[in-house]
Amino acid sequence: MATAETKPIDVPDARYLRSNRLSRIVNVAGIYGIAVLFIVAGAILQSLGVINNFMTTRNFLNIIDAVALLGIVAAGMAFVTYSGHYADLSVPTTMALTGIVTVELLHYGFVPAVLAGLAVGLLIGAVNAVVVGRFRANPIIWTLAMSYVTMGVIRLVWVNRQIYPDVQTDNIRTIALFDGIFRLRLFNVISLPVLLMILMMLAGHFVLTHTVYGAQLKLTGSARRTATFSGVNAERVIGIAFLIAAFAAAVGGLIITSLSRVGAWYNGTGYEFRAVTAVVIGGVTLAGGRGTIIGVIGGAFVIGLMNNIMTLIGIGTFSQDMIRGAIFILVVGINAKSLRSLGRDDA
Amino acid sequence: MNQDSPVAALEMKEVGKRFPGTIAVDAVDFEVYAGEVHALVGENGAGKSTLMKMLAGSFNDYTGEILINGEAVELHTPSMAMKHGVGMIYQELSLANPISIAENIVAGHLPRRGVLVDRAALAAEAKRLMSIVGLDLDPDLPIEEISQHEAQLVEVAKVLGTSPSILVMDEPTSALSRDEVERLFAIIDSLRKRGLAIVYISHHLPEVFRIADRVTVMRDGRRVATRDVASLTREEIVQMMVGRSVKEFYSRAERTIGAVRYRVKDLSRWGFFHHVDLEAHVGEILGVCGLSGAGRSELARVLVGLDAADEGTMELDGKVLNGSGMAYYLARGIAYLTEDRKSEGLALRLSMEDNILSSIVPRLRRGLRYDKRLGRTTVQDLVKGLSIYPTDPTVTMANFSGGNQQKVLLAKWLAGGPRVLILDEPTRGVDIGAKVIIHEAVEKLAGAGNTVILISSDLPELVGLADRVLIMRQGRFVREMSYEQCTEESLLLAANGEESA
Repeated sequence: MATAETKPIDVPDARYLRSNRLSRIVNVAGIYGIAVLFIVAGAILQSLGVINNFMTTRNFLNIIDAVALLGIVAAGMAFVTYSGHYADLSVPTTMALTGIVTVELLHYGFVPAVLAGLAVGLLIGAVNAVVVGRFRANPIIWTLAMSYVTMGVIRLVWVNRQIYPDVQTDNIRTIALFDGIFRLRLFNVISLPVLLMILMMLAGHFVLTHTVYGAQLKLTGSARRTATFSGVNAERVIGIAFLIAAFAAAVGGLIITSLSRVGAWYNGTGYEFRAVTAVVIGGVTLAGGRGTIIGVIGGAFVIGLMNNIMTLIGIGTFSQDMIRGAIFILVVGINAKSLRSLGRDDA
Repeated sequence: MNQDSPVAALEMKEVGKRFPGTIAVDAVDFEVYAGEVHALVGENGAGKSTLMKMLAGSFNDYTGEILINGEAVELHTPSMAMKHGVGMIYQELSLANPISIAENIVAGHLPRRGVLVDRAALAAEAKRLMSIVGLDLDPDLPIEEISQHEAQLVEVAKVLGTSPSILVMDEPTSALSRDEVERLFAIIDSLRKRGLAIVYISHHLPEVFRIADRVTVMRDGRRVATRDVASLTREEIVQMMVGRSVKEFYSRAERTIGAVRYRVKDLSRWGFFHHVDLEAHVGEILGVCGLSGAGRSELARVLVGLDAADEGTMELDGKVLNGSGMAYYLARGIAYLTEDRKSEGLALRLSMEDNILSSIVPRLRRGLRYDKRLGRTTVQDLVKGLSIYPTDPTVTMANFSGGNQQKVLLAKWLAGGPRVLILDEPTRGVDIGAKVIIHEAVEKLAGAGNTVILISSDLPELVGLADRVLIMRQGRFVREMSYEQCTEESLLLAANGEESA
């Protein structure tokens, strides 16, 4: 019994193991550094005459508005990824349905219509919360199915119609308010979506890092069984993550519908993948339990800038999709590899 | 037995294997002859499994020499081991569930005709192997439709398909009924007559006497002795396994044992344990002893609210516990240290600090704000008190050694100041240094007027620490032993179903 050594042999060198504050700041700052590089690249392309109108106030306002919409949706999606459940693929149809319901109900007044729209979005989130959180359905397959069901409902009920605010019966002021969701600007600069994005970013960051829920989400996302064995109600924690994602998607749905002035099934198309891309290049790993909301917003900025520059260059939509897909694969690959080289094959 | 035959089917010469912090197998000699059943016995952690994993090709860094039929071989991968005729049958079955018996048996060397699987040849080969183990079933049946016992035999047939000359069976009877065990023994007997060298690992000494020709006893990574089974008594084997009296290793501090803190009456969870009564007192370390599968961990899970009981009552300090969910029990100071450190105990990707604080997250709150700085002194005290190394609380858990991970797991539960702490194998697989520290912390916790329920297969641990030990067998408490009655021998015999004098 007394023969074995008392000192561990594999004493690790703590210098290599620390995930300290500084490295975390560098990680988050990194994505904003990339955003700055994109701006520099855009400026160089413009000075070379490859693109025009990049370095203009108008263009930057466009970029920021687009980033705001994506940033809001991605900030919500980040909670699902952080919880270890990859992504909520029902985001696009949640956005579309929220918009459609809101426009349909505008004649009851602006506030009731918006609340009803958000409620419908949250309802989809609640179903996801129960099915994935409690019944442990595979999140990707389930939310994909949910997306199809919602799309079916939209097409069945509204028979492919696009829903316009009805100028005949709706109050003109109500319509103006709805249009204003996207168009209202404080001091003629900061739009409501940008304000909402900043609010979501601060609130999301606070929730993740400074609340009991955030600490429980981190534990659940890192090791679900361990969380359960620590007295955490993992079902509830995961469910709330899906509710947050659905709420963010619903807000995004209001903005995109206000932008296009029409409620339609195709509003939100592609936002699930764009949001996950922002989440992942923003530093939230697909394995869960790691990353920051501020990083995710940075990821949204990078995507917004990239889209803008590609469009200005004249790259087609399909090619853009291809490039975004390639970047996603690259980032996930690098992430997996760097984690594996640290001896953790759980990226 | 064929001991007079010139070469052993298997000869391991001074083999050794180190793990971080411990030497699991230390210069062991071990030889098995064709046509013998050779039992390998020892307490948990004695090195039996490591020795057999070495043989199965699980390690590429063992020391010493392995000879098969007199020829030196290197067994660095499972496929090398298989090529040299080593067949392994593990406690947990490795059968693929939705597919048929035949496909499971012949998996790995499917007969082909062109690019297609030759179904007729497949069925014939499966039939041939099944007949060796006495299985008369339709080879096309899916695995999920056959019994545990039949699945075990399918596993044997599958291994026989690789034509092994050495067959290792690790606790093959743990999931079988008495009749099924007899049938398995008949098959082992016929395999012995076919000239296989069989290594039989078991905790159940009666089985060793029933089936084995020779026995090798291991303790603390070393071979104690190899003898003919016929020349030994059960008590002699136990004596060799245990080797020493442990009571003097534990400097036992006097504890005052008070009133009943946790009382359990007639508690059952169908299929796992039945009609369990238990009274754990203030300041007491109550041991629970039993072989794996006796229902110990299942009982613990109910005691802390992870599972619901089917019947029975639980009381803490005279108040009935009627809430559900672990959080309810945790809020009342009842905590559970799981036996599965890696997947249930710790979040290996998080920092040491996050892990220690994970059991008290709801308490680290200032208004709405969660603030883990509130737990900083708790973490510092525990790191110091348990000599956790490295001491930096931000180091990721995966980078700690096994012993230090286990100390962090204990720290996680000590952080909340538990009034009843249930420990499930608290020192399994840790080095001796960590073990001593954990034991001291447990004694201190009990000494401070808390209650500890210690579930362990580590007999010296139970004998040294526990004030009383309850023996659990097949889901029931069958016996209680006081500290004075407790010796490793008496516990081991009782857990085996052998009442000692």
